[in-house]
Amino acid sequence: MHRNDAQANQPSLVSAVPTNNATTSTSGSLPRAKPRRRFIPLATRCLLGILFLFGLLCSLSPWGRAFARSTVLLPALITASEPAPLQVIGEPIRHTQTTLPFQDGTVYLDIYAPTTPVPLLPHARNGILILPGVGDQRQDPQLVNLSQSLARAGIVTFDMTTDTLIDNDVDAADSDGVVQAFQTLARWPGLAGQHLGIMSFSAGVPLVCFAAADPRIRDDVAYVTAFGGYFNTADALKIVGRRAMIVDGKLLPWHPVPYTLQVLANVVTRTLPFDEQTSIRSVFAPGGTPLSSQSLAQLSPGGRAIYQLLMGSEPTKVDANMAALPPAVQAELAELSPSRVINQIRAPIFLFHDRDDAFLPFAESRDFAAALTRIHHEHDYVEFHIFDHVEIQSHLQLAQLLTDGTHLFGALNRVLQLNS
Amino acid sequence: MLVLSLLWLFIGLFIGSLAWLARCYPPSWQRLRWLRMLVLGALVALASGWLGVLLTGRFFATALALWMTVLCVAVLPRSSHRLYERLHFKSHV
Repeated sequence: MHRNDAQANQPSLVSAVPTNNATTSTSGSLPRAKPRRRFIPLATRCLLGILFLFGLLCSLSPWGRAFARSTVLLPALITASEPAPLQVIGEPIRHTQTTLPFQDGTVYLDIYAPTTPVPLLPHARNGILILPGVGDQRQDPQLVNLSQSLARAGIVTFDMTTDTLIDNDVDAADSDGVVQAFQTLARWPGLAGQHLGIMSFSAGVPLVCFAAADPRIRDDVAYVTAFGGYFNTADALKIVGRRAMIVDGKLLPWHPVPYTLQVLANVVTRTLPFDEQTSIRSVFAPGGTPLSSQSLAQLSPGGRAIYQLLMGSEPTKVDANMAALPPAVQAELAELSPSRVINQIRAPIFLFHDRDDAFLPFAESRDFAAALTRIHHEHDYVEFHIFDHVEIQSHLQLAQLLTDGTHLFGALNRVLQLNS
Repeated sequence: MLVLSLLWLFIGLFIGSLAWLARCYPPSWQRLRWLRMLVLGALVALASGWLGVLLTGRFFATALALWMTVLCVAVLPRSSHRLYERLHFKSHV
């Protein structure tokens, strides 16, 4: 047995000596066998080297960690469900709910966090605050899936909302709630001293921008992600009034969904007298009907201008209707515009928008990106075709999925690199 | 953790077999070289996977187990052989 093994080992010993190769290349059957015997160890050594580098980068370098997270998060986002590999290699997680007081109300937090002890190496665990926009989105399956997937990838995820947002309204004062939620996230075990991310969707974008510009937290924000948001409220209202937006110098038709009009009606009528406020809001609430000409005539000039803008019934008189808005409404529109704080935000801003978004026009995100370019603020802007506003569409075509999937992977990777 | 531990064992067996094909074993291993490499790979992968959970968390533990196993199966057999030879030589001197 021993002798047989020793004999079997001989060719490898011979092949390990280069001078022997040269001298025996002309004799017998050895030259044919040797290249293959050399190739297999060489190829497997290369493969081992690749596996070593891959594992080392994916576990210890920020770039590799972001790549690993993006690789498992992308299928979770596209399929709107947690893939099996993420469930196997990911962290076990726990979902808890809590509330936080802030100066104008209460923040409702849904916390998705790993249950395992904090890793010993720094930055292995991160945190992200998500503001899903107006309405009560806390039970939305895609938001729950995103939050769970992030938590399984070692990212503590806080989903937040407020009473105002749940009531389909947006109030700049809620940005204090975002700050409070961010500070609570920053105190989470394992996250102390880290820069953390903020992600917002739709009408949550202005609140997140105001919070990211707040001196209390602006130096601790790793990045701001604005998905399907807007830049200037007055410009967005003009697009709604025209039912069209200007893109690359061309006027493109754009028709908002009823929900957009409902939220806008809530926002712009806040300072109107109570009866006007109620009558305009009821028109754009679910099941509402347009005002009769008599009721319309009873509105103040400002109320009538708001009504015509939201109805889109006077697309050629948008500028005149905007000028007729009461000063308090114009101040409200300016107050709710992220454009007023972009100079004060220090974190990089990632803008994503679907080109077919019927909730908010993608021209707004383009304006946002253009403004950031003008002030040389670090940012990234990506347009997609696979989302329905901010939710992934079902039954996507393969070509579309491959193109936008690649863009989404790149965007995810860039975002996650900033706090990995 | 059972499924994850089995995954690490499988990764260890795979890397052990690659290391055997790559002839990472010392010349003194005359018998059951393939089995020794497989067992070494599996044990190191399991241990480094659990170490990875402590160091980097469960999500990155598999990646950590991957490179640590490659490193160990490539270095440990030959270095332990050299150490043995050195100690053996000293004891004879």
